[in-house]
Amino acid sequence: MFKKFSTEEVSGQNQVKASVQRRIRQSIAEEYPLLEPVLEDLLPKKSPLIVAKCQNHLNLVVVNNVPLFFNIRDGPYMPTLRLLHQYPNIMKKLQVDRGAIKFVLSGANIMCPGLTSPGGALDVEVGAETPVAIMAEGKQHALAIGFTKMSAKDIKAINKGIGVDNMHYLNDGLWKMERLD
Amino acid sequence: MAEKPQPVQVLYCGVCGLPAEYCEFGPDFEKCKPWLIQNAPDFYPEFLKESNGTETDKVSDKLQSTTISEGSSTSKPEEVKRLPGGKIKKKVRTFKDFSCYLKHANLSFKDKQEIIIEKVTRNKRKSITTIKGLELFGVKLSDASKKLGKKFATGASLVKGPTEKEQIDVQGDIAYDIVEFITKTWPDVPESAIFFIEDGKKVPAA
Repeated sequence: MFKKFSTEEVSGQNQVKASVQRRIRQSIAEEYPLLEPVLEDLLPKKSPLIVAKCQNHLNLVVVNNVPLFFNIRDGPYMPTLRLLHQYPNIMKKLQVDRGAIKFVLSGANIMCPGLTSPGGALDVEVGAETPVAIMAEGKQHALAIGFTKMSAKDIKAINKGIGVDNMHYLNDGLWKMERLD
Repeated sequence: MAEKPQPVQVLYCGVCGLPAEYCEFGPDFEKCKPWLIQNAPDFYPEFLKESNGTETDKVSDKLQSTTISEGSSTSKPEEVKRLPGGKIKKKVRTFKDFSCYLKHANLSFKDKQEIIIEKVTRNKRKSITTIKGLELFGVKLSDASKKLGKKFATGASLVKGPTEKEQIDVQGDIAYDIVEFITKTWPDVPESAIFFIEDGKKVPAA
């Protein structure tokens, strides 16, 4: 999704009003309860919260010029990888095997066999249509953020086709955009 | 309140920007190697073994070819020097272009001193002209807005942009007269540094 992404895709950025800010903060807190204690540091109430609207109904939540979260239409907020690296435990994790890393890092969606093979790992509780962190065999840090297409049980049972949509991965456009101004 | 989880510090490669452990899948692993040997030997233990042998020679050869300064000094201190230097350069660049709205990586340093004029339409036939970047030429923005308002007999105000950058909003469509006015009132602004935004594209005024 962010394969080609640059400041030119940002069609407008607005400082959002307090009620919207509150809503964003609340939905993030609901989705990532582990993040709640540090939420005040991440999204300080004092500094303005900016929402950058981009093409394809994409919104970026920007604080102090740093993109922290993104979402599509009214979908769930997902952290950027830089944020996830800092707080790795906030999301459910799926692990792909080593062979898949290369493809994931060039933007491919995550296929079921890569998750079910010996190098992969699945959190059984993951349902369909939830944001997940994609880890890799033998690596500490997440390499992508995905949005599951089917539940973990289905991934195991069907073991074919796309299991997780790749939303944001290392070295894509959003990764390279450390600061937005 | 629950205890605050401390943010994890991730080591990012100084060359390609990926976390060090992903360099091997990065765009140019070969270029990252010297940096990794220096900074993140834990991730790639196999390098260290090699580095006693032929690998360092190759690496140092590469280093010397990439750095301009060549001397009899050994390759390792040179590399240390090179890295911070590169970082400082980067920082300077980002600092300068925070006022530049359109990022073009290949624009040189001086080109970034520019004025961008944009016409925003509101209520169909009314418009606002925004001027960004005047401060780069050492112009006091509050004075400028006053002058503009006087010249065009309209409201002109200093507005904080969405990301805390200041710009001047002038009521009405003055896009074409404004170039002449700017160059006349502030002689140190070259006409070639003024750009219009038309249909999302940057068009030079001159």
